Formats: sequence, C-alpha cells, structure tokens
Amino acid sequence: MLELLPRLRRFAIGLTGHPSDGDDLCQMTIERALTNRQKWQEGTRLDSWMYRIMRNIWIDETRSRTRRSQTFVHEEAGFAVGAGGGQEAQVELGHVGRAMERLPDDQREAVLLVMVEGYAYKEAAEIVGCPVGTLNSRLVRGRDALMAMLGETSPGEAT
Amino acid sequence: MTITPEELAAYADGELSGAQLDEIELAIAADPSLVRKVKEHRALRASLLAHFAPIVDQPVPDRLTRMLSGQEERDSPENEISENVVSFVPARERHEAKKAIPRWGWVVVPAIAASLALVLMPRGGSETSGFAAPQLALALDQQLVATQPADADTRILLSFRSKDGDLCRAFSGAEAGGIACRVEGGWRLRNVLQGSQTAAGEYRQAGTDDAALLAMVQDMADGPALDSDQEATAKQDGWQ
Repeated sequence: MLELLPRLRRFAIGLTGHPSDGDDLCQMTIERALTNRQKWQEGTRLDSWMYRIMRNIWIDETRSRTRRSQTFVHEEAGFAVGAGGGQEAQVELGHVGRAMERLPDDQREAVLLVMVEGYAYKEAAEIVGCPVGTLNSRLVRGRDALMAMLGETSPGEAT
Repeated sequence: MTITPEELAAYADGELSGAQLDEIELAIAADPSLVRKVKEHRALRASLLAHFAPIVDQPVPDRLTRMLSGQEERDSPENEISENVVSFVPARERHEAKKAIPRWGWVVVPAIAASLALVLMPRGGSETSGFAAPQLALALDQQLVATQPADADTRILLSFRSKDGDLCRAFSGAEAGGIACRVEGGWRLRNVLQGSQTAAGEYRQAGTDDAALLAMVQDMADGPALDSDQEATAKQDGWQ
C-alpha cells in the first residue's frame, strides 16, 4: 500500500483539484482501506480496490458538501501548493488543472483514470462502477470539453 | 462508414482490437481530419500526463506514510493479527505494484506506447546537428521540470541520460519542440519537431506533439528519466 501512495495522491489531487484536499482525501482512503482490509480479496488488484474506495469517498464528500465547492476549490489561491513543506516540490495546477476542475465529477474521474492513471476502459469502469459504454462516453465528453478549453480542438469538422 | 467520437477515442487509447480496429484504421487512412483528431487526443493525453506526473515524484507527506508504517509496526510478527497484514500485501502484489509505477511512467505508459506503435503519427523529427539558439539554451540550462512556470514559452518535459552518456532534455514550445543533449560547446539538437498551429487563446495549447517526442525519448534513453532531485543535481553539475 505504501508503494501505491504516490499514485493515490496523484488521483486524489486530480479529483479534488487541490493538493491539501487531495492529501485529506488520501488520508480518509487509507483509513477506510485499513478498516476494511478484510474485504479486499487476494488475487484482485489492490490498486483498483483503493481507487474505488477513494472515488466513493470523494463522491460522498462532494454530495454532502452540496456544492459548497468554493471551500474545496480555491480559484484565486493561485494553486501554489506545498507551501511550507521545505522539500516539497511545488505543484502548479496551471491551465490544465483549471480546465480539469471545470469538468463535471464523472467526466473528470473518467479522464483521470484512463488518461493519467493508464487504466483500460474495463478496469476504469469497474472502479467507477458503471458500464464500459458509459465510461467511454463520459470520457469523450470530458475530452471534448478539455480540448475546447485548452484550444486543442480543430473547429469545423464533421466526424 | 461513420466513426463515432467514442470509437475514435477508444482507438486513440489503444482500446480496440480485431475487426473493429481494422475498420477504424481504414477509415482513418482515408480521412486526414480523423488523423488530426487522433493526434489531438494523444496530445491531450500527453499534456495531462506531463501535468500530473510530477505529483508522483513528490515526497508523500509524513502524515500519510505514518498511517501505514504505524500499521506495520502494530502488526509486527509478535502481534497476533500479523497474518492478516502479511496476506494483505503479499510480496507478489508489491512487486506488481512496483511494476505498475515505473519511475517515468508517463513516458512508457503502456497505452501511449501501444498507440504510438500503430504508427498513425509519423515518427517525425529529423536528425539535426545544430545547436540550440541562445534563448532555448537558456531554458535548457535553467528550467527544472518541477519548478518551471506553467506558462513558460518553452516547457521542459523531462530530462534523461542518453545511451551515448549525454544528459538530454525533451522540450516543447509553441514553435518547435525536440530533444537537446548537452555536449561540449552547448546544447546539441538531436530531434526537432515543428510545433503545430498555435492559437492565442486563454489556455496554452500543447505546441508540438508531446507524445511523439516522448516516443523518441524512449528510443534514446538509457534508463528512466531523472526525478526532480536528480534533475536538480544535474543542473548544479552543469548538465555534464
């Protein structure tokens, strides 16, 4: 589990859009995983299991916060993170991060799982708990939105 | 035939196989606009990877590692519940986890490697023998992946040691991107790609095709890319 931590952090920071929130989410995930470790089935992937726990906590959190997203998303704070941690490298969320934040949660998690974490559609769909087709279409919507925001789309094309 | 956006994305992600793959490849071969779209998908993936990759190299905050190391102490062999823990993360799983997180995972992420292998994207980049112009050389000298500004004109994608033993850096800018290696006399350009059309918009766009660059890095590198500490050290040593 220790070796999964850097990747879990990346997913958490991607989901929350903010490093300290990401670390909080990581902490909750580890707690729940340790509490429920009997439920992990040997032979299945530990990383998928942990990711599933994390995204479930995150979904619960965002729901219970009823869109008080301003407390989670510090748009003006400049996204300069790692302040105060001497060794800690700075993460600039920058444009990509800001574009990611604008995505709906379901699209953002699909984009993160497949395009950043490198999961196959089937694995990502299992983590999210939805059919592969649903994941595929969320992914496409998320990508289209990102490309539009990042200016990587080429206008006027029929597919 | 009509290719849905879903199919195209799945293709770009290396998710298709068999007849479906053949069909799409045929359709793409006949339609340059689809080629461009696939490239855009891959460029987006490369930007996302480049954006999130540094997080994996950061030290994990103590409060998180402590939760787990504390756990392991409590569950030391003298402890009665040790069996649970041993079976919880068996050595095999650890090994797999390790394999799943290569240090430069964002270069060798299997999906990227697989999709590049399909060679839709021309493996462009001519070998050149020129040296980096002063402005580029400055960026190559000064910028570190972990600390460079997000809106830098030239972004350093990663640094690595080439099979020739030189320190090399992959860079990406609006007009051109490529790989430069530090040799006597300056930064020698090894591969240069022209940047794609750049629209001045609110957001920075990935200038050159980062994914294609990373594929070249893979061919040239003699091992994993430098992590942020190694890169800082290399800078101190003058990129020798």
